[in-house]
Parts: sequence; C-alpha cells; structure tokens
Amino acid sequence: MTAPTNQASSTHEAVSQRVPLWRDAVVVKWTAQVATLVLVLASLWFLATQAGDNLTARNINIGFDFLERPPDIQLSEGIDTHPATGGRALWVGMVNTLRMAIVGIVFATLLGVVVGLARLSNNWLIRRLATIWVETLRNIPLLVQIIFYFSVLAVLPRVDMDTGPINGWLHISNKGLAMPRVFIADGFYQWATVMLVGGLAAHYVRRRRVDLHNESGANTSPVLWSLGTLAVFGMVGLFIHPLFGFIEPIMGAVASLLDSLPILLPQVLLSATAVLLAGRWIREFLAGRRSAVGHLALSDDDYFRIIFTAIAALMAVTVAIYWTGLSSWILNSGSDLFRVIETKFNVDGAARPFDAMRPDIVKPGKFANYGINGLTMTVGFAAVFFGVVFYTSAFIGEIVRGGILAVPKGQTEAASAVGLHRSQSLRHIILPQAIRVILPPLGNQYLNLTKNTSLAIAVGYSDIVQVGQTVYNQTGKTLPVVAIWMLFYLATSLTISVVVNYYNVRMKLVER
Amino acid sequence: MSEFAGAGAEIGSFYPMPRPDASPPVEEHLPPREWLKKNLFSNVFNSALTVAAGLLIIVMLRGLLGFIFNPLRQWNATAVNLRLLMTHAYPADQYLRVWFSVAAFLILTGLSIAVWRAGSRVPVPDVGKRVTALGVFVTLSALLAPFSGSARLSWLAVAVFLLASGLSVSRTSKDRSVSSLSLLVGVCGLAALSLWVIPYGHHSFVSDRTPKILAEPGTVDLTTKLPWTIMLLIAVAAYGVGLLLRDRIPAKVARTSLVLAWILTPILLLFLVLRDPDFDMGHVLSTDIPIFLVFAVLGSALLFWLTNPETGEVGRIVAVTVLFLAFGSFLMPMRMVIRIFMLLLAIFSLAGPTFSGDRRTRHNYVAIWTGTAVFVSWLITAINTPSTAPVPGQFFLGGFSMTLMVAFFTLLVSFPLGVMLALARTSNMPIFRLLATWFIEFVRGVPLITILIFFSVMVPLFLPDGMDLSEVAAVTIGYALFASAYLAENVRGGIQSVTRGQHEAAEAVGMTTSQKTVFIVLPQALRVAIPPLVGQVIGTFKETSLLIIIGLFDLLFVAKAIIPNQTAFMGSTRENLMVISLIYWVISYSMSKASMRIEKRVGLGEQ
Repeated sequence: MTAPTNQASSTHEAVSQRVPLWRDAVVVKWTAQVATLVLVLASLWFLATQAGDNLTARNINIGFDFLERPPDIQLSEGIDTHPATGGRALWVGMVNTLRMAIVGIVFATLLGVVVGLARLSNNWLIRRLATIWVETLRNIPLLVQIIFYFSVLAVLPRVDMDTGPINGWLHISNKGLAMPRVFIADGFYQWATVMLVGGLAAHYVRRRRVDLHNESGANTSPVLWSLGTLAVFGMVGLFIHPLFGFIEPIMGAVASLLDSLPILLPQVLLSATAVLLAGRWIREFLAGRRSAVGHLALSDDDYFRIIFTAIAALMAVTVAIYWTGLSSWILNSGSDLFRVIETKFNVDGAARPFDAMRPDIVKPGKFANYGINGLTMTVGFAAVFFGVVFYTSAFIGEIVRGGILAVPKGQTEAASAVGLHRSQSLRHIILPQAIRVILPPLGNQYLNLTKNTSLAIAVGYSDIVQVGQTVYNQTGKTLPVVAIWMLFYLATSLTISVVVNYYNVRMKLVER
Repeated sequence: MSEFAGAGAEIGSFYPMPRPDASPPVEEHLPPREWLKKNLFSNVFNSALTVAAGLLIIVMLRGLLGFIFNPLRQWNATAVNLRLLMTHAYPADQYLRVWFSVAAFLILTGLSIAVWRAGSRVPVPDVGKRVTALGVFVTLSALLAPFSGSARLSWLAVAVFLLASGLSVSRTSKDRSVSSLSLLVGVCGLAALSLWVIPYGHHSFVSDRTPKILAEPGTVDLTTKLPWTIMLLIAVAAYGVGLLLRDRIPAKVARTSLVLAWILTPILLLFLVLRDPDFDMGHVLSTDIPIFLVFAVLGSALLFWLTNPETGEVGRIVAVTVLFLAFGSFLMPMRMVIRIFMLLLAIFSLAGPTFSGDRRTRHNYVAIWTGTAVFVSWLITAINTPSTAPVPGQFFLGGFSMTLMVAFFTLLVSFPLGVMLALARTSNMPIFRLLATWFIEFVRGVPLITILIFFSVMVPLFLPDGMDLSEVAAVTIGYALFASAYLAENVRGGIQSVTRGQHEAAEAVGMTTSQKTVFIVLPQALRVAIPPLVGQVIGTFKETSLLIIIGLFDLLFVAKAIIPNQTAFMGSTRENLMVISLIYWVISYSMSKASMRIEKRVGLGEQ
C-alpha cells in the first residue's frame, strides 16, 4: 500500500531525525488495532459473562442435550413428521429448508429468465406485462406476499374425495395440492450404477462426435448422440440392473476397512493438508509480492497475513491432533455411509428401480387429509414457494435484462448480419456473453432466496427456523437453537457462493 | 463494473455533456394501425403472443375485479380501522400530536422540494396519453367486472370522459408542458376535494362499551377530511415558503439545515411530541443541565484548542487521554450520561485535528459539539422520563408509524456503522479488515429473522442488572446491524471505484489519511453508491414487515392479526393485505423512481 502519509508533513530538518514513536505510522497503526481488538474482545467477554450470570440467575442451562431427547413435537411435513429426538426434528427442518431452496432456485431462475426476456420483447403487450410483474412484485415485502398467498390458498374447498380437478389424479384443496408421484424403489441404486456407466459412455460418445465434427465439418449432432446413448443405457438398465448386485460386498468391505483404520490416519492427513495448504499459500503470496528482478518488499500488512496463515495452519493441526472426536467422527461417518450404500444394494433381483402411485385421501379422525402416496404440496409449502419464486423472479428478471443490455449492440447486429434469426442469436451470441454479467448478481439472488425461505415461519411450513422455534419454546434452549440456525445458514450460504464462484471463474473471459 | 461507473461519474461531473446515444431514443410517431402492426403483429409468433397475452390479461383482470367487487368483500375493514393501521393504540384524544407530526413532515417535504428544485416539466401530450391509458383500463374493467347494468353504464361514462379528455388534450396542446409538481398537487387536491363531495360513506368504530361498526351514508367524517385538507394546504404553503427562502438563503446553508432537520425531526417528534415525556423539572435543573453545562463549556474549550493547526503533537496525546478516561469511566460507578458524554468528547477530540483550520472552521466545529451535546443531553433525559401517553401494551406506537419509526432508526444507526465497516474492510490495517470482513460475511450469511429473534430473546440477557431496553429498541439494533453489513458492501463498491489518482493527489497536497478519507474518498464513494443505497433504504423499509414474527405490532401485524379478529370483520385478511400491499408498493415504488431521477441528475451511469 501507499507509504505512511504522516511523514509527508514533517519539515525539512525533521527528515534526518528519527521519527518519534507516537508519530511512527506502523506503531500508531498497530497500537490502534490491538487496542480495538482488545476492546472488542473485552466487550464480548463482558456480554458473555453477563449472559452467563443472567442465565444462572434465571435457572436456564444451555446445553445441547436436547438434541438427544425426545422432543414431543409433531411437524406438519417433512421426511419424518414424528421425529424421535430434538436433533432429528432439526434435521427434518434443515431438509425442508434445503428442499424449498433448491426447488425455489430452479423455478425462480426459469421464471426470471422468461421475465427478463419478456422485458426486452418486441411485443409491446408482453413487455408491459413483464414490467408490471417486476414492479409489482419487487416493491411489496416478501412476507406480505407469502401471507397473502397463504390466505388465498386457505379459502380453497375442504379436501374430499371429489375436490380435485381430476379426481383420483389431481386434487387441489385447502390442504394443498396432491398429484401422482414417481418415486425411487429398491432397485434404483443398481439402476443408477448402470446410468453412471452410461454417463461415462455418453461423455465418450460426445467427445467422439465433436472430434468428427472438427475433422469433417459435417453436422454430427453430438448432444443428440450422447443423449441417445444415455437413453439406451437407461432402457437396458431397467432389465440388467440386478447384475450390479456384486457392489454390495465391496461396499461392506470398504466399510469394514474404514472401521479398522487407526484414528491416527485422519489426524495425520488433516494436519498434512493444513500445513501443505498454508505453505502453498505463503509461497504463492511471496511470489506475487516479488518484483520482476526478485526484490521482495513486505509491508507490515503482508507480514501479518503470512503470520496469520501460519498460525491458522498451526491451530488446524492442533485441533486435528487434540480433538480426537473429529477424526473418529470422520472415520465413523465414512463407514456409516458405506454401510448405508451396502444396504441399498442388498435387494433381490426382481426389485424395480421406479414405482408410481396415485394420491390418496385418508381420514384418520374427524378431518380428511392427503395420505402419503401422492406427491403433496401443502398450503404452507405452496405459499412460501410462490412467494420466494415470484419475488425472486422479479429480481432475476432485472438482472437478466441488465446482462443482455450489457452485451454490445454490435454483437446482435453482427449476428443478424450473418443470417442468424432472433432466437439463434439469443442462444448462441447474446446469452453466452450476458451470462458473465448475470452470474455474480444471480448468485446473490440465490443466497437471498435461500435466506428468505426462513419466512416460512409465518405460515407454519416446517423449515429449520419454524422447527427450531418449536423446539426452543418447549425446551427453553434458545441460544443453542439460534447457534444451530446460524451455523446451518452460514454453511448453506458458503456452499452456494462456492458453487457460484466456481461457475463464475469458469465462465470468465479468458484474457491474454 | 463499479470502476467504470466511478470513472463515468467523474467525467460526468467535469464535462456535463451527455454522450449522443445516452439520450433517450426519440419515439417515432406512427399512426395507430402501423404502431399495432409493428409492436403487436409483426409476425406470426408475435401475433400469437399478443393473442395469448391478451387472453391472459382478460382472465386475470376478470378474476381480480371479480374478487374486488364481490359483495362479500369487506373493504370497509381498513376504512374503519384506519387509525389502528396507522398508529395502533395511540389515544384518540391525543391525536392532535399525530397530525402535528404529519404536518411537520409535510412542511419538510415542501421545503425540500423547493430547495432541491425537484420535479420536472412533463409534456402535456404525455399527460394526455396517461389519461387515455387510464380510460382504456377503466373501459376494460367496466366491461369485465361483475357489475349490474346501471353500474356498468356509469363506469363506462367515466371511461368515455377519461378517453375523450385524454385524447383531446394530447391532440390540442402539442408543444406545451406542465410542471409535475402542479400535476401532483392537482391530483392530491382532487382526492381531498372528493372527501368533501363524494359520498364514500361514514365508517367509524364506536368503541364506547360495546364495540360496533357504524356505517352511514354520506361523506366521510369531519375528523378525516378536515385534517387531510389542512395537511395538503400546509404542504403547498411550505412549498411556497421554500420558493421564497430559496433565493434569500445560500443553497448550501439551506440544504445542510434541511438535511439536519430531516434527521432530527423524527427523533424530536417521537420523543417530545408523540411520547410526551413528563419532565421532572427539579431533576432536570439540578442534574441534567449542570452536567451538560460542564461538558459544553470544558469540551468547547478543549476542542477549540485541539482544532488549532499549531497545537501539534500534544493535541493528539490529549485526545488519546480523553479516550482512555472515557473507557475508564465505564469501570467506575458513574452516571451513564457522563460516560456517554466522555465517549462523545473523545470521538470529537480524536477527529479534531482532521477538521483543524482557520478561526471560522474552529468556531463551527465547537458549535457542532455544543449542538450535539444539547441534543444528546435532551434525548437521554427524554428517554428516561416516563411518558404521559396512556397506551396499553409495551410500546406507545404501532401500525404504520412503528414501521416508519423502525425503518428510520435502522437507517440512522446503520449508515455511520456501515460506512465505518466499509472503511475498515478496505483499510490496510489487517486486524480492522479481518474484524470487519468477519462481521459482514457472518451477518450476510444468516437470514434477518434469526438475527431479530436472537436480539429479541438475548438482549435482555446481555444487559447488566438494572438496565432495561425495550424489545423495540433491541430489535431495531438487530435491524441496524443487519442493514449495516449490506450497506458496508455497497459503500465498499463506491470506495473501490475512487481512482488511485485521487488518493495520490490527496497525499501529494499533504492530507493526512483521515483527511483524505473524509474530504476526498467518501464524498466520491457515497455519490457512486447512491443507487444501491436507495435500494438499501427500500429494502429496509420492506424488511420492517418482519416485526410481525417477533410479535411487535407493525402494519402487517395489525392487518393480518388484529383486524381479522374483530367480530365485524372475520376473515377480512385478504382485503387488509391488499390494502397494506398498496401502501408498501406506493412508497417503495416512488422511492425507486426518485432514485432513478437522482441518478440521472448527478450524471451517474453515463459513461
């Protein structure tokens, strides 16, 4: 960075003198920083002790033991509506959140691209409709929208045998929407193995066809060919999938191997990774700071970064070695994973990979409800889903529109000059260039959508926040639940930004 | 991206010459038939799209109108409960205070519009086009809505009137233009007039022993139409005063004082007018005023000395000593007021050398200190004084006023915090950078609702014995921390767009780092960051709706949970939500439109 400016004002004769300690930029800077750090830590410590005192005074104990106890709650939906433990309940909530986030991201992207393109359409009516869509939805709070959709859906007719638009196949009622579902059955994992092989084959076929195209220049339609290969494997796999039963003992062997490994192995591996990563980072950092002739000038900031990295690596090593629980957890969960896969392959030859069922309506007590057979979208899910999808689609639409407008007009003109028509130039010329502008803000929208699913609490969809609130209302463990929420969302946000960054880097224009 | 925006902004300010293709394209004027052909039926696909979209519009409009004009709808739920929606349980006999506050805002608005010369000229044909479009819309609605024959006819008559006047205006006065402000006042005036003329019906809530709804024919109640008419007149009068003052007061002074007024007025109104504290004059005279006087006099002397450019090194040492004393005051039993004053004085002392200069500058600086001391002293006293407004429940405001209040305080706190975080994140001091980065990334990684729940549940636990913080204040702190992280990222974009040459030039003329930051970097950075900052304001306003999840009585809470529970309005949730959606929409939409206009005016985005 730039040289300390304090010296700039010193007078001529002062230049020859030593800078006094309280004017030395490095000293002043570091004093201020260390003082701030101490202040921040002190106030955090103060708050923590206050909270601790208050908690003991109110006889509240914070501990994670509630994760192991039966929670005595019932969830409205999820992979397990009667969770056995508090931890399981939160897990169901996490799955529900992720389910909503993934489905929401997919549909919001599709709808958003349509809206963005519609805003640039040649057709006046379409353009106007898209503008109204965007301006209406993005200026009304999402929570208001979600509650509104919920209150609209809640006045649908009561669920009954004959309330569907297509009775027995599609039902819409105040309990939500139910339709037939295709689900994976026992034979699925063997079939998936066939498809894995098919995927490799398809990849190879595509490469071949592309090479052929490059050689001869003829249209070899590589995408069609690879899809065809995949389809053939899929069809054949329906019949030959029991062949892959031999995977079961292999998985069992891997699991046993993981069981027998010493704890030392992951410890060593983790420590070595940390040290290697830190060493590589420092080496690259130094290389980046070196001038063309190999002169190395480091500022205090640079020294701090190097030392910080080294300390971080050391701490990682310490954690890996002293926290044996981590290493044994890695080994155990690894072997658990392979045991689960082993059981998945442990099926008889006649099992089908897929099955389908029509929705059913059950009446356990006084009130009818959908059974577990069909694919059901509850009212809460639908409200949150429509809320986040519509709301985010307005923002994504604007991003897509901005990205397309950022492509120079010459590109469109050149495309039409070589005879591409509008849809072709959109697909081959404009969108590939626009995607570079679109991706970073799009990633932000994905993050926002994922965080916005937490508003499900307002309509009772069992996402992690709603489940967590139920749990802490029953157990009084607010602090641990909030900590779990935050960790979960941080992990999810981090994952999404890593994925988006990966594509961002891949899509970047390669510049010389 | 942002680098270009910054560079463009700079060029724009020095050479205010729009690029040829930056001006909006001139719309070619086509006869209706060709316009239709070009825009709706240019080819087969386009025609199919038009037909499909037209059908969609008809179906949607029919559904919407069928919903709105269904006799089962209880639209008077919001009309009857307007007071509940706006201020929740604020006592009706104290309502003059609310109207006083509204008037204060309108006066500020009128003055600001005049001083900033807001508004533009709108070509009359454009107005005509709008009126025609409205006429088309009304025609469509009249045809599609489930009306009785006579109602349909009267709606059609209105539509024909609108169509005729719109078309005739756009035909006859081609080159004339009209000020957008007079249009606005005209529309508001018509609305106010309609309160006196059109029999909307007299809806009110009689809450004497047995609550019941009163719905009589006739115009609305005098307690509604009279204040609103007066408010409109006040706004217009304020604009007039602003016009007069504009030419007599230097623009810079007028604008600075107006900005200050915008920041201070809500606080004054909230704690002085609406809350109506019951000051204990004995205590004020014996304790508050002496403390204030000591700090005002001694602090002024200290700051006057510190801002002298010739003070030199000793000044910095004294400033740091004051800081240490301030921290030390937290370790000793002492009045909270004194601690806060010590901290404020320390901040002013540390900033002193940055603002050093001639006598006038120093006087100004001391004046700012004294003003801050007066304000802080009053504010602390006011907050600690019990209110006389007898409101059941924990907080004296609710509904829309709480929404506005939380949004205002969130922005007030988060703005300086966000700027500081952005500076820390871009600084070359690693610990500051790390702290800021961790804070920002942590806050941005978790949903707002978890932060709000954390603050509403945990803040009481964090406080030492004897200290108390209302839930509204705790939640507002949560909002402010959340907003500051996002704001910091926006400001950071602006800071990074300030070119290197600006930094180097500031250093070349001998500025210290803090002078460079305050006088060179931040003004440019904030200007570039205007559009995302306005977006942030809109976002914060919309996010206040999350107060309902904490269980605070904001606008959404009243609309969703209070009104539909009244026996007269069971199941009116959808109607109420639609009405408050309209409120949210109007405010957000007008803010985003205003931001676009500001962007154009300061020449942002033109590269």
